Amino acid sequence: MATFDSSGVGVPAFEDLRVAHHHLLEHIRAPGSWWSGAQRVAIAAESRQATSCGLCIRRKAALSPTHIEGVHDTLGTVPASAVDVIHRVRTDPGRLSRSWFESIVPARLSDGEYVELVSVVALTAGLDFFARALGIPPYPLPDALPGDPSRYRPAFARGGTAWVPMVACEDASGAEADLYEGLAFVPNIVRALSLVPREVKALQCSSAAHYLPVKDIVDPAARRSLDRPQMELVAARVSALNQCFY
Amino acid sequence: MHGAASDAGVSNGARLLAFTEAVMCDDEAALARERAALRAVLTPNCFVDVAGVIAAFNVVDRVADATGIPLDDMLLAASAGLREQLGLSRFASAANTPGGR
Repeated sequence: MATFDSSGVGVPAFEDLRVAHHHLLEHIRAPGSWWSGAQRVAIAAESRQATSCGLCIRRKAALSPTHIEGVHDTLGTVPASAVDVIHRVRTDPGRLSRSWFESIVPARLSDGEYVELVSVVALTAGLDFFARALGIPPYPLPDALPGDPSRYRPAFARGGTAWVPMVACEDASGAEADLYEGLAFVPNIVRALSLVPREVKALQCSSAAHYLPVKDIVDPAARRSLDRPQMELVAARVSALNQCFY
Repeated sequence: MHGAASDAGVSNGARLLAFTEAVMCDDEAALARERAALRAVLTPNCFVDVAGVIAAFNVVDRVADATGIPLDDMLLAASAGLREQLGLSRFASAANTPGGR
């Protein structure tokens, strides 16, 4: 099992975190709905590569990212149509726009490919920031599992609320019956990846391991060892630095 | 660095903010310094929790901004004053929420 090595930094090695991180890495390396396991691991690797990309660094520093032209420093292992998406979601997510999205989907990526790619990039960023905060090396990326993408698309995913189609709570039936199980309130962030249902579960795993189970978020008494105001202060600062309105 | 000086009325708030900013930026010396300072005032369990929250919101923020989801109606109404106070409408992603700008 790939886990974080806490032995050199004097922090507890929580079993729940070990299990969750193992689960997330297994998820990344498994075939998805629209990308193979090898492509998903390559997306994760490209996501890491983006953090040292010269073009991304210049764009991040610019008043507008669209004014800076150039070529990404890429590992060359993902389709060219995906490279700019991976780099921008990883390094400058706060300045993504609907017009940018519409230039990508469906001309360069299908909506399902896009949603799954966003999830893999985001989950990789989360694991990497966890390691960076603790002061330990990032996890080695796992070897990919064999197999083809399932090409599964929920029957009731609908557009209109976000840039991407989502499964509404009232439509979560059949194969999606357990998608929002146990949630009295389903915020849009939980529905955001529902075009690729497996990614909803991965996002919930990340939330539960690192922050709170989704069902507990609306409970102001819910907390970890850190008290809730401390948790929310850190969360708000991260989101402000990412320029995330949501 | 963005220089958050206040503790926002939260226990060890200034240290938490300084560490969070250091993790999010590229200054490795500042990160090492702020990590040591935070670990001096938090229990090891709490320190791991801080790393977890930073991880969680780096996931959530990317998913939210890349999928263009609007802020939920319930949260939009409840946070109007705070959003104005913090000037959150200046963020590009505010355009995804009707009434966000």
